[in-house]
Amino acid sequence: MRLNQRQKAKGLLVFAFIFLTAVAISGYFCHDAAMATDFSIKNMPPCLKYPFGTDWLGRNMFYRTLTGLSMSIIIGICAAGVSAVMALLLGISAATLGKKADSVITFLIDMVMGIPHILLLILISYACGKGLKGVIVGVALTHWTSLARLIRAEVLQLKESEYIQIAGKLGHSRLQIAYKHMLPHLLPQFLVGLVLLFPHAILHESSITFLGFGLSTEQPAIGVILSESMKYLIMGKWWLALFPGIMLVLTVVLFDVGGNSLRKIWDPNSVHE
Amino acid sequence: MILEGKNLTFAYEKRESRVFSDVSLQVDSRECVALSGPSGFGKTTLCKVLAGYLTPQTGEVLLDGKPLPKKGYCPVQMIWQHPERAVNPRLRMKDTLADGQQIDERIIRELGIERDWMNRYPQELSGGELQRFCIARALGKDTRFLIADEISTMLDMITQSQIWNFLLKEVKEREIGLIVVSHSGPLLEKVADRRIHF
Repeated sequence: MRLNQRQKAKGLLVFAFIFLTAVAISGYFCHDAAMATDFSIKNMPPCLKYPFGTDWLGRNMFYRTLTGLSMSIIIGICAAGVSAVMALLLGISAATLGKKADSVITFLIDMVMGIPHILLLILISYACGKGLKGVIVGVALTHWTSLARLIRAEVLQLKESEYIQIAGKLGHSRLQIAYKHMLPHLLPQFLVGLVLLFPHAILHESSITFLGFGLSTEQPAIGVILSESMKYLIMGKWWLALFPGIMLVLTVVLFDVGGNSLRKIWDPNSVHE
Repeated sequence: MILEGKNLTFAYEKRESRVFSDVSLQVDSRECVALSGPSGFGKTTLCKVLAGYLTPQTGEVLLDGKPLPKKGYCPVQMIWQHPERAVNPRLRMKDTLADGQQIDERIIRELGIERDWMNRYPQELSGGELQRFCIARALGKDTRFLIADEISTMLDMITQSQIWNFLLKEVKEREIGLIVVSHSGPLLEKVADRRIHF
Protein backbone atom coordinates (compact mmCIF):
# COMPACT_ATOMS: atom_id res chain seq x y z
CA MET A 1 0.00 0.00 0.00
CA ARG A 2 1.33 3.39 -0.93
CA LEU A 3 0.41 6.36 1.19
CA ASN A 4 0.27 9.87 -0.21
CA GLN A 5 1.94 12.87 1.46
CA ARG A 6 -1.18 13.86 3.33
CA GLN A 7 -1.88 10.46 4.82
CA LYS A 8 1.78 10.20 5.82
CA ALA A 9 1.64 13.61 7.46
CA LYS A 10 -1.52 12.69 9.35
CA GLY A 11 0.04 9.44 10.56
CA LEU A 12 3.19 11.20 11.73
CA LEU A 13 1.17 13.86 13.51
CA VAL A 14 -0.89 11.27 15.38
CA PHE A 15 2.23 9.28 16.30
CA ALA A 16 4.05 12.39 17.57
CA PHE A 17 1.03 13.48 19.55
CA ILE A 18 0.52 10.06 21.19
CA PHE A 19 4.20 9.64 22.03
CA LEU A 20 4.54 13.10 23.57
CA THR A 21 1.32 12.79 25.56
CA ALA A 22 2.40 9.36 26.82
CA VAL A 23 5.76 10.76 27.94
CA ALA A 24 4.17 13.76 29.63
CA ILE A 25 1.62 11.65 31.52
CA SER A 26 3.93 8.78 32.48
CA GLY A 27 6.48 11.29 33.76
CA TYR A 28 3.88 12.62 36.14
CA PHE A 29 3.27 9.16 37.64
CA CYS A 30 6.99 8.30 37.82
CA HIS A 31 7.84 11.39 39.81
CA ASP A 32 8.12 9.66 43.20
CA ALA A 33 9.85 6.58 41.80
CA ALA A 34 12.40 8.86 40.13
CA MET A 35 13.42 10.33 43.50
CA ALA A 36 13.78 6.95 45.30
CA THR A 37 17.38 5.98 46.05
CA ASP A 38 18.65 2.44 46.64
CA PHE A 39 22.38 2.05 47.22
CA SER A 40 22.25 -1.72 46.72
CA ILE A 41 21.75 -1.22 42.97
CA LYS A 42 23.96 1.81 42.32
CA ASN A 43 25.83 2.21 39.03
CA MET A 44 24.05 -0.61 37.24
CA PRO A 45 24.55 -0.69 33.47
CA PRO A 46 21.40 -1.02 31.35
CA CYS A 47 19.60 -4.34 31.82
CA LEU A 48 16.07 -5.64 31.42
CA LYS A 49 14.91 -4.44 34.81
CA TYR A 50 16.57 -1.04 34.49
CA PRO A 51 16.53 -0.30 30.76
CA PHE A 52 18.44 2.99 31.16
CA GLY A 53 20.61 1.75 34.06
CA THR A 54 20.92 3.36 37.49
CA ASP A 55 23.08 6.23 38.74
CA TRP A 56 25.53 6.60 41.65
CA LEU A 57 22.65 6.92 44.11
CA GLY A 58 20.87 3.87 42.74
CA ARG A 59 18.09 5.86 41.15
CA ASN A 60 16.26 4.35 38.20
CA MET A 61 17.42 6.36 35.17
CA PHE A 62 14.42 5.32 33.08
CA TYR A 63 12.03 6.94 35.53
CA ARG A 64 14.28 9.95 35.91
CA THR A 65 14.45 10.47 32.17
CA LEU A 66 10.68 10.20 31.77
CA THR A 67 10.04 12.63 34.62
CA GLY A 68 12.63 15.05 33.27
CA LEU A 69 11.13 14.93 29.79
CA SER A 70 7.60 15.37 31.05
CA MET A 71 8.74 18.40 33.03
CA SER A 72 10.46 19.74 29.92
CA ILE A 73 7.32 19.23 27.85
CA ILE A 74 5.14 21.00 30.41
CA ILE A 75 7.59 23.91 30.65
CA GLY A 76 7.73 23.95 26.87
CA ILE A 77 3.95 24.13 26.57
CA CYS A 78 3.68 26.96 29.12
CA ALA A 79 6.54 29.00 27.71
CA ALA A 80 5.65 28.42 24.07
CA GLY A 81 1.99 29.20 24.77
CA VAL A 82 2.75 32.51 26.47
CA SER A 83 5.30 33.34 23.82
CA ALA A 84 2.92 32.58 20.96
CA VAL A 85 0.10 34.65 22.47
CA MET A 86 2.54 37.57 22.90
CA ALA A 87 3.60 37.15 19.30
CA LEU A 88 -0.01 37.13 18.11
CA LEU A 89 -0.97 40.28 20.03
CA LEU A 90 2.18 42.23 19.15
CA GLY A 91 2.10 41.09 15.53
CA ILE A 92 -1.52 42.10 15.03
CA SER A 93 -1.13 45.43 16.81
CA ALA A 94 1.99 46.24 14.80
CA ALA A 95 0.06 45.68 11.61
CA THR A 96 -3.14 47.49 12.55
CA LEU A 97 -2.33 50.32 14.97
CA GLY A 98 -0.56 52.58 12.53
CA LYS A 99 2.99 53.54 11.68
CA LYS A 100 4.26 54.60 15.11
CA ALA A 101 3.14 51.45 16.93
CA ASP A 102 4.60 49.45 14.07
CA SER A 103 8.03 51.04 14.32
CA VAL A 104 8.13 50.62 18.11
CA ILE A 105 7.23 46.93 17.89
CA THR A 106 9.54 46.28 14.96
CA PHE A 107 12.37 47.91 16.92
CA LEU A 108 11.57 45.71 19.91
CA ILE A 109 11.61 42.60 17.71
CA ASP A 110 14.94 43.55 16.17
CA MET A 111 16.43 44.32 19.57
CA VAL A 112 15.40 41.03 21.17
CA MET A 113 16.51 39.14 18.06
CA GLY A 114 19.84 40.95 18.06
CA ILE A 115 20.82 39.67 21.51
CA PRO A 116 21.90 36.00 21.59
CA HIS A 117 19.00 33.92 22.89
CA ILE A 118 20.91 32.00 25.51
CA LEU A 119 22.45 35.16 27.00
CA LEU A 120 19.11 36.89 27.38
CA LEU A 121 17.57 33.70 28.75
CA ILE A 122 20.26 33.37 31.44
CA LEU A 123 19.88 37.04 32.41
CA ILE A 124 16.08 36.88 32.69
CA SER A 125 16.06 33.51 34.45
CA TYR A 126 18.69 34.77 36.93
CA ALA A 127 16.78 38.01 37.53
CA CYS A 128 13.59 36.04 38.24
CA GLY A 129 15.36 33.93 40.84
CA LYS A 130 16.06 30.86 38.67
CA GLY A 131 13.86 27.81 39.25
CA LEU A 132 10.70 26.93 37.36
CA LYS A 133 9.45 30.52 37.24
CA GLY A 134 12.74 31.87 35.93
CA VAL A 135 12.91 29.32 33.14
CA ILE A 136 9.31 29.82 31.99
CA VAL A 137 9.51 33.63 32.07
CA GLY A 138 12.88 33.54 30.35
CA VAL A 139 11.79 31.27 27.51
CA ALA A 140 8.47 33.11 27.09
CA LEU A 141 10.14 36.51 26.85
CA THR A 142 12.75 35.50 24.30
CA HIS A 143 10.93 33.28 21.82
CA TRP A 144 8.06 35.43 20.55
CA THR A 145 10.05 37.51 18.06
CA SER A 146 10.12 35.43 14.91
CA LEU A 147 6.47 34.44 15.16
CA ALA A 148 5.47 38.08 15.84
CA ARG A 149 7.36 39.14 12.73
CA LEU A 150 5.65 36.43 10.69
CA ILE A 151 2.17 37.41 11.87
CA ARG A 152 2.80 41.11 11.36
CA ALA A 153 3.91 40.50 7.78
CA GLU A 154 0.94 38.24 7.13
CA VAL A 155 -1.60 40.77 8.42
CA LEU A 156 0.04 43.60 6.45
CA GLN A 157 -0.10 41.55 3.29
CA LEU A 158 -3.68 40.45 3.90
CA LYS A 159 -4.82 44.02 4.49
CA GLU A 160 -3.63 44.98 1.02
CA SER A 161 -4.99 41.92 -0.74
CA GLU A 162 -7.72 42.45 -3.29
CA TYR A 163 -10.27 40.05 -1.83
CA ILE A 164 -10.21 41.84 1.51
CA GLN A 165 -10.67 45.25 -0.11
CA ILE A 166 -13.53 43.81 -2.14
CA ALA A 167 -15.15 42.33 0.98
CA GLY A 168 -15.03 45.82 2.52
CA LYS A 169 -16.82 47.33 -0.47
CA LEU A 170 -19.39 44.54 -0.31
CA GLY A 171 -20.47 46.03 2.98
CA HIS A 172 -18.75 43.82 5.56
CA SER A 173 -17.41 45.33 8.77
CA ARG A 174 -13.75 45.09 9.79
CA LEU A 175 -14.54 42.52 12.46
CA GLN A 176 -16.48 40.32 10.05
CA ILE A 177 -13.62 40.50 7.55
CA ALA A 178 -11.03 39.72 10.21
CA TYR A 179 -13.04 36.68 11.25
CA LYS A 180 -14.03 35.37 7.86
CA HIS A 181 -11.06 36.29 5.69
CA MET A 182 -8.04 36.80 7.93
CA LEU A 183 -8.47 34.07 10.56
CA PRO A 184 -8.24 31.17 8.10
CA HIS A 185 -4.84 32.55 7.05
CA LEU A 186 -3.53 33.40 10.51
CA LEU A 187 -4.68 30.37 12.49
CA PRO A 188 -2.54 27.75 10.71
CA GLN A 189 0.48 30.09 10.84
CA PHE A 190 -0.11 30.65 14.52
CA LEU A 191 -0.64 27.02 15.50
CA VAL A 192 2.26 25.73 13.44
CA GLY A 193 4.43 28.48 14.91
CA LEU A 194 3.28 27.48 18.37
CA VAL A 195 4.13 23.82 17.85
CA LEU A 196 7.50 24.67 16.31
CA LEU A 197 8.27 26.82 19.37
CA PHE A 198 8.16 23.77 21.68
CA PRO A 199 11.45 22.21 20.58
CA HIS A 200 13.22 25.56 21.05
CA ALA A 201 11.69 26.03 24.46
CA ILE A 202 12.62 22.50 25.56
CA LEU A 203 16.19 22.73 24.28
CA HIS A 204 16.73 26.12 25.89
CA GLU A 205 15.19 24.94 29.14
CA SER A 206 17.58 22.00 29.32
CA SER A 207 20.58 24.03 28.23
CA ILE A 208 20.20 26.73 30.87
CA THR A 209 19.48 24.07 33.48
CA PHE A 210 22.61 22.29 32.29
CA LEU A 211 24.57 25.52 32.75
CA GLY A 212 23.16 25.90 36.26
CA PHE A 213 20.87 28.91 35.73
CA GLY A 214 17.62 26.99 35.48
CA LEU A 215 15.87 24.38 37.59
CA SER A 216 17.37 23.48 40.95
CA THR A 217 19.56 20.38 41.22
CA GLU A 218 17.23 18.15 43.23
CA GLN A 219 14.68 18.18 40.40
CA PRO A 220 14.91 15.30 37.93
CA ALA A 221 15.14 17.64 34.93
CA ILE A 222 16.88 16.59 31.72
CA GLY A 223 19.40 19.41 32.00
CA VAL A 224 20.26 18.40 35.58
CA ILE A 225 20.60 14.74 34.60
CA LEU A 226 22.93 15.61 31.75
CA SER A 227 25.12 17.99 33.72
CA GLU A 228 25.49 15.48 36.62
CA SER A 229 26.28 12.63 34.30
CA MET A 230 29.20 14.67 32.92
CA LYS A 231 31.16 13.89 36.09
CA TYR A 232 30.62 10.14 35.70
CA LEU A 233 31.03 9.93 31.96
CA ILE A 234 34.81 9.85 32.28
CA MET A 235 34.53 6.83 34.59
CA GLY A 236 32.85 4.81 31.85
CA LYS A 237 29.25 5.28 32.96
CA TRP A 238 28.12 6.09 29.42
CA TRP A 239 24.46 5.17 29.94
CA LEU A 240 23.90 8.11 32.27
CA ALA A 241 24.22 10.59 29.42
CA LEU A 242 23.42 8.54 26.33
CA PHE A 243 19.81 7.49 26.97
CA PRO A 244 18.53 10.78 28.42
CA GLY A 245 20.29 12.56 25.53
CA ILE A 246 18.67 10.32 22.91
CA MET A 247 15.26 10.76 24.50
CA LEU A 248 15.66 14.55 24.54
CA VAL A 249 16.60 14.59 20.86
CA LEU A 250 13.70 12.25 20.05
CA THR A 251 11.22 14.51 21.84
CA VAL A 252 12.49 17.59 20.06
CA VAL A 253 12.46 15.87 16.67
CA LEU A 254 8.93 14.61 17.24
CA PHE A 255 7.66 18.10 18.03
CA ASP A 256 9.31 19.32 14.87
CA VAL A 257 7.81 16.49 12.82
CA GLY A 258 4.40 17.20 14.35
CA GLY A 259 4.61 20.91 13.49
CA ASN A 260 5.70 20.29 9.92
CA SER A 261 2.96 17.68 9.38
CA LEU A 262 0.43 20.16 10.69
CA ARG A 263 1.64 22.72 8.16
CA LYS A 264 1.42 20.24 5.30
CA ILE A 265 -2.13 19.27 6.25
CA TRP A 266 -3.30 22.86 6.53
CA ASP A 267 -1.75 24.35 3.46
CA PRO A 268 -4.30 24.28 0.63
CA ASN A 269 -1.48 24.32 -1.91
CA SER A 270 -0.33 20.89 -0.78
CA VAL A 271 -3.78 19.33 -0.98
CA HIS A 272 -2.96 17.24 -4.02
CA GLU A 273 0.59 16.21 -3.17
CA MET B 1 -28.86 57.57 -11.45
CA ILE B 2 -25.74 59.40 -12.45
CA LEU B 3 -22.18 58.54 -11.47
CA GLU B 4 -19.99 61.57 -11.74
CA GLY B 5 -16.25 62.08 -11.41
CA LYS B 6 -15.36 65.76 -10.94
CA ASN B 7 -11.83 67.06 -11.59
CA LEU B 8 -10.21 63.87 -10.34
CA THR B 9 -6.46 63.98 -9.70
CA PHE B 10 -4.58 61.05 -8.31
CA ALA B 11 -1.01 60.23 -7.26
CA TYR B 12 0.05 57.15 -5.30
CA GLU B 13 2.62 59.12 -3.25
CA LYS B 14 2.28 62.80 -2.43
CA ARG B 15 5.56 63.81 -4.04
CA GLU B 16 5.46 61.41 -6.93
CA SER B 17 4.12 62.29 -10.32
CA ARG B 18 0.40 62.12 -10.93
CA VAL B 19 -1.22 59.12 -12.52
CA PHE B 20 -3.88 61.41 -14.02
CA SER B 21 -5.01 64.93 -13.32
CA ASP B 22 -8.24 66.85 -13.72
CA VAL B 23 -10.30 64.03 -15.19
CA SER B 24 -14.05 64.54 -15.31
CA LEU B 25 -16.64 62.10 -16.53
CA GLN B 26 -20.33 61.37 -16.21
CA VAL B 27 -22.08 58.05 -16.63
CA ASP B 28 -25.80 57.41 -16.61
CA SER B 29 -27.12 54.16 -15.14
CA ARG B 30 -28.90 53.36 -18.42
CA GLU B 31 -25.80 53.45 -20.58
CA CYS B 32 -22.71 51.41 -21.16
CA VAL B 33 -19.49 53.38 -21.45
CA ALA B 34 -16.13 52.18 -22.71
CA LEU B 35 -12.91 53.45 -21.22
CA SER B 36 -9.96 52.93 -23.49
CA GLY B 37 -6.34 53.99 -23.63
CA PRO B 38 -2.81 52.59 -23.80
CA SER B 39 -1.26 50.52 -21.02
CA GLY B 40 -0.03 52.40 -18.00
CA PHE B 41 -2.25 55.44 -18.43
CA GLY B 42 -4.14 54.85 -15.20
CA LYS B 43 -7.33 53.20 -16.38
CA THR B 44 -7.36 50.73 -13.51
CA THR B 45 -6.47 53.48 -11.06
CA LEU B 46 -9.38 55.55 -12.32
CA CYS B 47 -11.66 52.54 -11.88
CA LYS B 48 -10.48 52.12 -8.30
CA VAL B 49 -11.13 55.80 -7.61
CA LEU B 50 -14.62 55.59 -9.12
CA ALA B 51 -15.44 52.47 -7.09
CA GLY B 52 -14.23 54.11 -3.89
CA TYR B 53 -11.14 51.92 -3.30
CA LEU B 54 -8.84 54.95 -3.55
CA THR B 55 -9.38 58.54 -2.51
CA PRO B 56 -8.42 61.13 -5.12
CA GLN B 57 -6.07 63.99 -4.16
CA THR B 58 -8.49 66.54 -5.58
CA GLY B 59 -11.99 66.30 -6.93
CA GLU B 60 -14.76 63.98 -5.87
CA VAL B 61 -16.85 61.03 -6.98
CA LEU B 62 -20.58 61.69 -6.73
CA LEU B 63 -23.54 59.38 -7.07
CA ASP B 64 -26.63 61.48 -7.78
CA GLY B 65 -24.86 64.47 -6.24
CA LYS B 66 -23.87 62.62 -3.04
CA PRO B 67 -20.45 61.17 -2.24
CA LEU B 68 -20.08 57.37 -2.18
CA PRO B 69 -20.89 55.78 1.19
CA LYS B 70 -17.78 55.00 3.28
CA LYS B 71 -19.40 52.11 5.13
CA GLY B 72 -21.85 49.47 4.06
CA TYR B 73 -22.57 48.12 0.60
CA CYS B 74 -21.09 50.30 -2.13
CA PRO B 75 -23.53 50.84 -5.02
CA VAL B 76 -20.57 51.12 -7.40
CA GLN B 77 -19.04 47.66 -7.69
CA MET B 78 -15.86 46.80 -9.52
CA ILE B 79 -14.93 43.49 -11.12
CA TRP B 80 -11.17 43.10 -11.02
CA GLN B 81 -8.80 42.07 -13.74
CA HIS B 82 -7.33 39.02 -11.98
CA PRO B 83 -10.04 36.76 -10.58
CA GLU B 84 -7.50 34.51 -8.88
CA ARG B 85 -6.41 37.45 -6.72
CA ALA B 86 -9.95 38.61 -6.04
CA VAL B 87 -11.02 35.49 -4.16
CA ASN B 88 -9.72 34.24 -0.84
CA PRO B 89 -7.61 31.11 -1.49
CA ARG B 90 -8.59 29.62 1.86
CA LEU B 91 -12.36 29.86 1.44
CA ARG B 92 -14.59 27.53 -0.53
CA MET B 93 -16.33 29.20 -3.46
CA LYS B 94 -19.75 29.11 -1.78
CA ASP B 95 -18.33 31.21 1.09
CA THR B 96 -16.79 33.66 -1.35
CA LEU B 97 -20.12 33.96 -3.13
CA ALA B 98 -21.85 34.47 0.23
CA ASP B 99 -19.81 37.69 0.59
CA GLY B 100 -22.07 39.24 -2.04
CA GLN B 101 -25.46 40.67 -1.27
CA GLN B 102 -28.27 38.10 -1.74
CA ILE B 103 -27.17 36.75 -5.08
CA ASP B 104 -30.09 35.39 -7.09
CA GLU B 105 -30.14 31.70 -7.99
CA ARG B 106 -30.99 32.92 -11.52
CA ILE B 107 -27.71 34.88 -11.85
CA ILE B 108 -25.69 31.86 -10.79
CA ARG B 109 -27.51 29.66 -13.27
CA GLU B 110 -27.24 32.07 -16.18
CA LEU B 111 -23.52 32.59 -15.63
CA GLY B 112 -23.09 28.84 -16.00
CA ILE B 113 -21.76 28.25 -12.50
CA GLU B 114 -22.14 24.56 -11.70
CA ARG B 115 -23.31 23.18 -8.32
CA ASP B 116 -20.19 21.11 -8.04
CA TRP B 117 -17.89 24.21 -8.14
CA MET B 118 -19.39 25.59 -4.95
CA ASN B 119 -17.51 23.22 -2.66
CA ARG B 120 -14.16 23.70 -4.34
CA TYR B 121 -11.25 25.94 -3.42
CA PRO B 122 -10.16 28.65 -5.88
CA GLN B 123 -7.03 26.78 -6.94
CA GLU B 124 -9.23 23.96 -8.19
CA LEU B 125 -11.00 26.22 -10.70
CA SER B 126 -9.80 27.94 -13.86
CA GLY B 127 -9.57 31.71 -14.36
CA GLY B 128 -12.75 31.83 -16.42
CA GLU B 129 -14.69 29.85 -13.84
CA LEU B 130 -13.43 32.11 -11.07
CA GLN B 131 -14.33 35.24 -13.03
CA ARG B 132 -17.96 34.07 -13.22
CA PHE B 133 -18.03 33.92 -9.44
CA CYS B 134 -16.54 37.43 -9.22
CA ILE B 135 -19.20 38.76 -11.60
CA ALA B 136 -22.00 37.07 -9.68
CA ARG B 137 -20.65 38.43 -6.41
CA ALA B 138 -20.69 42.00 -7.72
CA LEU B 139 -24.33 41.80 -8.82
CA GLY B 140 -25.99 42.29 -5.44
CA LYS B 141 -29.42 43.93 -5.30
CA ASP B 142 -28.06 47.40 -4.41
CA THR B 143 -25.54 47.53 -7.24
CA ARG B 144 -26.22 50.58 -9.41
CA PHE B 145 -22.98 50.81 -11.36
CA LEU B 146 -20.64 48.08 -12.47
CA ILE B 147 -17.04 48.67 -13.45
CA ALA B 148 -15.58 45.87 -15.52
CA ASP B 149 -11.80 46.18 -15.63
CA GLU B 150 -10.51 43.86 -18.36
CA ILE B 151 -12.74 41.08 -17.12
CA SER B 152 -12.58 38.89 -20.19
CA THR B 153 -8.96 39.21 -21.27
CA MET B 154 -7.98 35.72 -20.16
CA LEU B 155 -11.04 33.93 -21.49
CA ASP B 156 -11.59 32.05 -24.73
CA MET B 157 -13.98 33.45 -27.32
CA ILE B 158 -16.97 31.28 -26.44
CA THR B 159 -16.78 32.03 -22.73
CA GLN B 160 -16.23 35.72 -23.48
CA SER B 161 -19.39 35.98 -25.54
CA GLN B 162 -21.34 33.93 -23.01
CA ILE B 163 -20.35 36.22 -20.18
CA TRP B 164 -20.84 39.47 -22.11
CA ASN B 165 -24.25 38.42 -23.40
CA PHE B 166 -25.39 37.71 -19.88
CA LEU B 167 -23.88 40.90 -18.48
CA LEU B 168 -25.40 43.16 -21.13
CA LYS B 169 -28.83 41.62 -20.66
CA GLU B 170 -28.57 41.88 -16.88
CA VAL B 171 -27.50 45.55 -16.74
CA LYS B 172 -30.20 46.50 -19.21
CA GLU B 173 -32.93 44.79 -17.21
CA ARG B 174 -31.85 46.23 -13.90
CA GLU B 175 -30.70 49.63 -15.19
CA ILE B 176 -27.19 49.20 -13.92
CA GLY B 177 -24.64 51.56 -15.45
CA LEU B 178 -21.69 49.74 -16.95
CA ILE B 179 -18.15 51.04 -17.38
CA VAL B 180 -16.00 48.74 -19.49
CA VAL B 181 -12.24 48.85 -19.68
CA SER B 182 -10.60 46.80 -22.38
CA HIS B 183 -7.81 46.79 -24.92
CA SER B 184 -9.94 44.96 -27.39
CA GLY B 185 -11.41 47.42 -29.92
CA PRO B 186 -14.03 45.06 -31.41
CA LEU B 187 -15.32 44.16 -27.95
CA LEU B 188 -15.75 47.81 -26.98
CA GLU B 189 -17.48 48.52 -30.26
CA LYS B 190 -19.91 45.69 -29.62
CA VAL B 191 -20.83 46.46 -26.02
CA ALA B 192 -20.41 50.20 -25.50
CA ASP B 193 -22.82 53.02 -26.31
CA ARG B 194 -20.07 55.60 -26.14
CA ARG B 195 -16.37 55.75 -25.66
CA ILE B 196 -14.14 57.81 -23.38
CA HIS B 197 -10.60 57.94 -24.61
CA PHE B 198 -8.07 58.25 -21.91
